[in-house]
Amino acid sequence: MSVSLQRRLTRLLAHIVVAGLVWPSLAVAEAWPTTDWPRAKIAGSPALDALDAYAFPDRDDATRGGVRTNALLVIRDGVVVYERYAGPTQADTPHLTWSASKSIMATVLGVAYGEGRFKLDAPVAQYYPPFARHPGVKIGHLLNWASGLDWQEDYEYAPLKSSVVAMLYTRGRADMAAFAAAHDAAAAPGQRFRYSSGDSNVLSAALKGMVGADVYGDYPWKALFEPIGITSAVWETDAAGTFVGSSYAYLTARDLARIGLLMQREGRWQDRQLLPKAWIDFNRSPFANYQPLPGSRGGAVPGGQWWLNAAVGAAPKPWPDAPGDTFAALGHWGQGLYVLPEEKLVVVRYADDRDGSFRHNELLKRVTAAFADEVQP
Amino acid sequence: MIRRRPFTALFLLIVLLLLALAWQNRVHLRAFPGIIGAYSAKEYCSCRYVMDNPADYCLAYVKQYVPLSGFFDEPDSKRVTARGLGSTQSAQWLSPRQGCQLLPQASPLPER
Repeated sequence: MSVSLQRRLTRLLAHIVVAGLVWPSLAVAEAWPTTDWPRAKIAGSPALDALDAYAFPDRDDATRGGVRTNALLVIRDGVVVYERYAGPTQADTPHLTWSASKSIMATVLGVAYGEGRFKLDAPVAQYYPPFARHPGVKIGHLLNWASGLDWQEDYEYAPLKSSVVAMLYTRGRADMAAFAAAHDAAAAPGQRFRYSSGDSNVLSAALKGMVGADVYGDYPWKALFEPIGITSAVWETDAAGTFVGSSYAYLTARDLARIGLLMQREGRWQDRQLLPKAWIDFNRSPFANYQPLPGSRGGAVPGGQWWLNAAVGAAPKPWPDAPGDTFAALGHWGQGLYVLPEEKLVVVRYADDRDGSFRHNELLKRVTAAFADEVQP
Repeated sequence: MIRRRPFTALFLLIVLLLLALAWQNRVHLRAFPGIIGAYSAKEYCSCRYVMDNPADYCLAYVKQYVPLSGFFDEPDSKRVTARGLGSTQSAQWLSPRQGCQLLPQASPLPER
């Protein structure tokens, strides 16, 4: 046998072996959660220890200082590879998501968008009549937190003039969208980003006008939760019956991860395109007039009711050690749903962080070190 | 008057400025005392009856720098009443999907 023939045969053999390795994995069905998630046993590693050490240090309940993770769940390509709970939280606890509710409401709106129930450039007043006093504000402006309304989003450090505290607990609690609508304009719509729970609750009230008051109360379940197998959802309303889209959705970590997987797979759930691809592109596009400023949600960039790890203008990406395509739903006291599409990772973190020492970048750095290695080329 | 009583004059000026500031912020100031009671009642209710956490955990969870002067949890009706800064507020668990909501009228706290 000549050397060249031998070489050719070896190469052919190699091709067959590689094809044999690749083809079965292509033929294996994509992993999806049914009533429970598929799981893989992951061997211990220093990277995994480093993740554990960061997310679950000794819990200080006396001072409530430091990183206080209640739940951490990592999904890789539809399979649970890490799951740990602490404090009072368990696998079946529907945990408060705080402002991650905004991205969940955006996902509900995405289904309505796919059903043709509204347009991004339609005036909000078309679906929510009290917004007639702000005729220039469009649905897309609210989704970018760019209504231009004079809103003060501060929590416990500036309670006197905080719009969000007044909305949730005092003057706005009977009808939160109406409370937001009663604010004056401080800028032209679409010109500037100002994070606002008011904008998010107006979206929730607009959904009522889009789908009709008679089906509104069931809509998040029928449109989103039931099709992707979410059974734990609780969504509190104000006294007017409007979902508190800004703050009060509760889900188990495993159920919130379903929304993450839906987003990671570009709106497709098994063979059903639940959210239009164009909707997710909008969620993941930085607000056009966004000017990077230090101090907004760890600097994450606002998209369409989701937060992006995008480099905007001269500013670097906010989470330097996470992939640039990372996007997230984030909430008060450390709640987070992170989606890393290229790495096929979905991360849910529930927490009770009270001192602001937790860093998204540090968590994501350790998650990718522990779980993203196998997809590196 | 200013030359004879400079400190009294300064004090009166400060009082006047504070009154003007208070008038300017009267809407915020009137609502302010309700925050602690409402926050505590609502978030305790959700912690206990939505998230199903233990009662002692939920009490610690809603603790703020401003102390409560009254607190009453009625497990049978899933109603929670809290009093802080002189304002009493109640939250009520409504249903498995709707969780808790602040009530327009607070329940009276039991006599001690």
